[in-house]
Parts: sequence; structure tokens; C-alpha cells
Amino acid sequence: MTSAMDQKSTQNKDAEKVIEKELSFGPVHPALIEPYRIRLFVNDEIVEDCEININMAYRGIEKLFDGLPVEKALLIAERVCGICSHVHAWNAVRVIEGGLGIHVPERADYIRVLTHEFQRITSHLIFFGHAFEVVGHETFAMRSFLLRESFMDLLQYLGGNRVMPSVPIIGGIRPRADLTEALKKVILERCDQFEVKYADYVRRAVEDPVVMSRLEGIGFMTKDEAIKWHATGPTGRASGWDYDLRKTMKEYKPFDFNVIVLPEGDTKTRVVARALEVLECLKIIRQAVKNLPEGPVANRDWTAKEMKYTEAYDETYRGELMHSYSLDQQGLVRNYKIRTPTITNLAAMEQACIGDHVTEAILTIASCDPCLTCCTRTELVDNQTKRSRFMTEYEIVNKYGWRR
Amino acid sequence: MSDLNTTLVFTAGLIASSIIAIAVGIAYSLILPGIERKVQARIQQRIGPPILTPGWWSVLKFMYKSKTEPIAQMPRFYKSLVYFGIAIVAFLFLFTTPYWWSVLGWGSILGIAGLLKLEEVLYVFMGSQSQSILSATMPVPDLAKGSKWVGIRREFIEQHSADRTLKMMAIGSIPLYLALIVPFVAARSVMLSNVILVQNAGYHSAPWYGIPLPSSPILFTLPGALAAIVYFLGFIMIMNEKPFSILKAKIDVIEGGVLEYAANLRASYYIMRNLLMFALSSIFVTIFLGIPFDPFTPSMMLLNMLLSLILPVAMSALVAFSPILTFRQIYPTTIGLSALGVLAMILSVSI
Repeated sequence: MTSAMDQKSTQNKDAEKVIEKELSFGPVHPALIEPYRIRLFVNDEIVEDCEININMAYRGIEKLFDGLPVEKALLIAERVCGICSHVHAWNAVRVIEGGLGIHVPERADYIRVLTHEFQRITSHLIFFGHAFEVVGHETFAMRSFLLRESFMDLLQYLGGNRVMPSVPIIGGIRPRADLTEALKKVILERCDQFEVKYADYVRRAVEDPVVMSRLEGIGFMTKDEAIKWHATGPTGRASGWDYDLRKTMKEYKPFDFNVIVLPEGDTKTRVVARALEVLECLKIIRQAVKNLPEGPVANRDWTAKEMKYTEAYDETYRGELMHSYSLDQQGLVRNYKIRTPTITNLAAMEQACIGDHVTEAILTIASCDPCLTCCTRTELVDNQTKRSRFMTEYEIVNKYGWRR
Repeated sequence: MSDLNTTLVFTAGLIASSIIAIAVGIAYSLILPGIERKVQARIQQRIGPPILTPGWWSVLKFMYKSKTEPIAQMPRFYKSLVYFGIAIVAFLFLFTTPYWWSVLGWGSILGIAGLLKLEEVLYVFMGSQSQSILSATMPVPDLAKGSKWVGIRREFIEQHSADRTLKMMAIGSIPLYLALIVPFVAARSVMLSNVILVQNAGYHSAPWYGIPLPSSPILFTLPGALAAIVYFLGFIMIMNEKPFSILKAKIDVIEGGVLEYAANLRASYYIMRNLLMFALSSIFVTIFLGIPFDPFTPSMMLLNMLLSLILPVAMSALVAFSPILTFRQIYPTTIGLSALGVLAMILSVSI
């Protein structure tokens, strides 16, 4: 009853609010690295409300999976995103490993975690690059990309490719991604060199009063709001929500690391949370290399067979990632569904930028680290009326029988 | 007869001086963006573009690009604004050259400040006219039926930039004008010739081949140094460069009012912008160091051009290390700078 009353009063409050004008940007805009539409409802420079429309780059990737042999389908999974390619590949194999109870050797788990943390660092450094580009500080943005190169190289040494290292396979990892003693040494050396440069970079950014004046005191999101909108990942943790799936994942059990939780909830905190997380990633990488167990890296003793609809969750660089599918009697993939972190973080972004100046609102959205093309989903286009619309999950299930 | 001869000689000198000044000014000003970009690139550990590319070659390239018609409300008016801009900046520069000092009192603080204000007003017109496809009229089905806000006035991003220009005109340009006044207060005159006389007494009597260096530049006094700092930051505000580039913040209003200038209009805009940068730098050297841009005294002209690099190079370094400030930071910064300017003005009375 109380919540209904609260909702009513909010609606009334919104109805009374006078909006002077609407400013809309995108999907073609030099500041947006992906095609999306932002509608800002503003009074003078102050954002009163925000709508983000993401249906610009629909690829139909979930449909591509349908009917493919599971090994082939997993190659597509890696291509869902170019920044977090490994986590999609990893989580895709975790679904079948969980569903069919496939054993994964411990050494393979370590190397999967290692690759995961490599990419977490590269992802966070892309985030800094983009955030500082939006702030207008080109030097910090470019230094961030320069720093990122160390780990792009390491990904290439490990998997053979900078962007799509293709490390996980069902039951383990590709043998080519096994760590040699020489590579272990290179990784540890690179981590040491990187840490020195990175600490200097972060110190300079945090101690720059002009840059910090742009980040501080804007884009507030409280812990309750973060939970309400399900803002997972560093976005939620920067609002004081202690939620990190790595703490519950069996692959991360052997590793000692801290979950960075900061209570302030503004744009600066979201940047700082990621900056501190990179240091925890280094901690995990060193542990993975030093304590790497001996043994095989892949378990080939499995066959694709009928599998019920199974889900797997992973803590990706932007938040919580869900992959789910079932296998039919021939072992072909059915009903593939992916929920990327941006899907849940979107509402939080819209909420967080209310009250900011227009220029700051774009920064607040960027500070939630959106990855929009990965999360764009089914859109229906009626050829006769030329109208397009999204389908609700209920409609999809009814029409196409997903999850049956 | 002798008066007529004098007038004719003066007019011929004025025309020749103006032609030389504009030709040299535009040619030289188109090198400045290259230097600017090179300094920024070096700070960012990049090689950067060749010196002539961002100025000279980009202007030549845009001159020969196929023309596109702006979607502005009044396209002809919108297109003419950039040419007005070039004319305003050209006169601003000419008024600081010695031949113009005696023409109707234009070589004074009033002439300079008036033209600068006009130049600022142009951005309001540009912003209110331009209607690029990049915002309100982009063909995207974004008007959802379930939206909380239906029927709200949709504004073009350029118009929002025009709103910001008005704010910057109201407050952002004050520091520059305050700093401009300081040398004139120190010289107890509104005329540029007297400002030069106070700092460089030998200039007026020097022959064309002489190098009359200033004996007491106002820059090396306390009020002069304070005013120079304020002038430098005011210069960046007028140039709409980072950290005060809110009128053309790439992340929201992109290029602001000049967004729709393409091809030859874009080339003209570059000429306007670069000539303004050189004109303001040259004015700084003229009024703070007592070295005017004199087309008929080559040594002074070259010295003025050389020293005019100070502000663009300093600006490039600042741009490389600065984010874009929003009005949350611009208002207090401007108030602080204005206070510093007023202090410099009060102190300059005692010089």
C-alpha cells in the first residue's frame, strides 16, 4: 500500500514538473562510441530526465546460435563483444559444463581466470580512455590506451590473438593457451612494469584538481537505487552495493582478492572503483601464475547430448553476465539467451544523470561503462506498415516457444 | 594641394599597409594550428601532424571539396556570417597596425573591444541558425508512445550552443576585457599609439630599418604580469578552446554553431578562427610588450610575429592537460579571474 502511494506521489510530482526543452543526441554522434540515442529533458543546463534508446545495432546474434553444433556455437559466443570476448566464450562453455556435469581440470580453470583478469584490465583501461575522452582530457585518454598495450600483448602471447584469444573450450582450454615457463616469466615482469606506470598514471589523474572537479559531485546513485535498478559490477559497487559474483564462483575460490566497494556513488567513485579493481586483478594474475597447478588443460571425455535449459552467471568487467541455452537430442543449441550487464545497468544510467549539467550527463552515462551493441536484442519490423517495435519476453516465449 | 598630397600618400600607405598586414597575417596564422597540434602531440607522446597540414592544407582541401547546402533556417544569412567573421577579425587585426592608429580613433581600446564583442555575437547567430541533422531532426524512431515526456520542445544542439554563447558573452569574456584595459590605464589613454609610446619611446622616431626595442614593457610590472595571466585565460575563452570550450564541447554540442560549415565555408571558418588567434596574440605583444605589427618596419613585424607564438604555444600545452569545464567550474573561474583583472587595473593606476 505504501509503495503504491509512493509511486502515485512520484507520478504526480513528475506531472507537475515543467520541462523547458529536449536535447537529443545520436545515434550518429562523434562522442558516442556506439550507436545509441540519448534524449535529455532539460531545464536550462540541468537534466531533469533521461531516456536512452539502444535499438540501433541489432545483430540477431542469439538467433545465429539456434541449431548449431555446440562447439561451433561457442565460437560465435566469443564474438558477442570485442572488449569482453573471453568472458562470453568462458560463460558459454560454463553453461554446458554445468548442464552436463563436465569436469574441468584445475590448471585450465587457472588459465581461464588469468585470461579473464587480463581482459578485465584492458576493459577498465578502455573505460578510462573513453571517460577521459568524454571529460575532454586527451592526454590521460591516450596514456590509458598506451598502458593497455601491455596486456593486449599478453593476450596475444597467451591465446594467439589480441582481441579474440579463444582460450576456453568445452572441458578446459585450447592446448596452445597453456602457460610455458617463459610466458610465466614474461607475465610477471609485465605486471611489475605495468604496476609502476599504472600507479603513476592513477596518482596523476586523482591528484589533478581540475579533472577531479569534473568528476566529483555528479551522477549520484545511492545503494538503494543501485539495487533497485540492478546496477551490477563496478557501477553498483561504487554505490556501496557489495555484490561480486567472483566471490561465489568456484573458479575463484583459490584466489585471495578484495572486492572494491566504495560508498560515495558519484561519477568519480565509479572511476576510482575501477582504478582500484585493476590492482586486485594484478593480485589475482600473480597468484594464478605462481600457483599454477600441473596437469592436463582439457578434458575431452564428454559428448553433446540433450540438456535442459541451463544458465551460467559470471562477473564480467561491467557487471553480471548471464548465458543460457539448452541442447536438443542431437546436441544442437536451442534457445540461446544472453543478458549482458549493460541491459540492467541502462536504467541506472538514466537515473544517475538526473540533476547533472548536460555535458556532465554524458559523462555520467559513460562512467557506467555502457556496451550497448552487445545488449541490443530482438526488434520486430512489420514490412507492411514499416513500423518497428520490441517484443516483450512474454511475447517471444509465446510466439517462438523459447524456454519450452 | 599639399594637404591633398598628404592625404593621398596617407591613403596609399594605409591601403598598402593593410594589404601587407592581411596577407602576412593570414599566411602566418595558418601555420599556428600546426604548431598548436604539434605541441599537443609531443605532450601526448605522439608524432603529430606535419606543421602545414592542420592550417594550410586543410584550408586548401576544404576549398575544393564539393559544396553542401546548410539546413539552417536562413541559409544565406548563415553562410554570410563566416565572411562577416573574417571581416571583423581582419579589421580587429588591422586596427592594431600603426597606420590605422590615426584613422577615426579606431586604433584604441574601443575599436578592439567593440570588434571582439561583435565577433562573440556571431556565434550566437551561428548557433541559432544552424540545424544540422545530428540532433533533433535525425531520422530515428525515438518518440516512444510510452514516454513520460510527450510534446516537449525539441531543440537543436547548435541552439543549445547559442544559449551557452550568451552565457559566455555575459560572464566568460569579462576577464579578457579587463586585462585589455590594464595597459591603457597604465598609459592614461585609450589610444594604442600612447600605449606603445609609454613602453617603447623610440618606436615613433625610428627609421624603417631600425629595431626599436621597448625600454619598459608593461608585462614586466606586477599589474602587467597579472593582466597578462588574465589575458591569456581570456584569450582561451574567446578562442573557445579547452578548458573553456563549452560552446563546442564535442561530447554534446559537437562543434556548436559552426557545425554546418562544410567545404569552402569550413575553410573560411578556419581562416577566421586562425586569424583571430593570431590577431589576439599580436595584440598581446603590441600592448603588453610595446612591439606592434608594423608592415613598414620589417624588424618589428617579424619580432611581433615571433613573440605571437607565446600564447598559442602556451594554449596548446594547457589544452593537452585540461578537461572541458562546465558552467559549474567556469563561473567561479571567471569570477576569480575578473577579480584578478580588477586588481591589476587598480595597481596599474600607480604605474
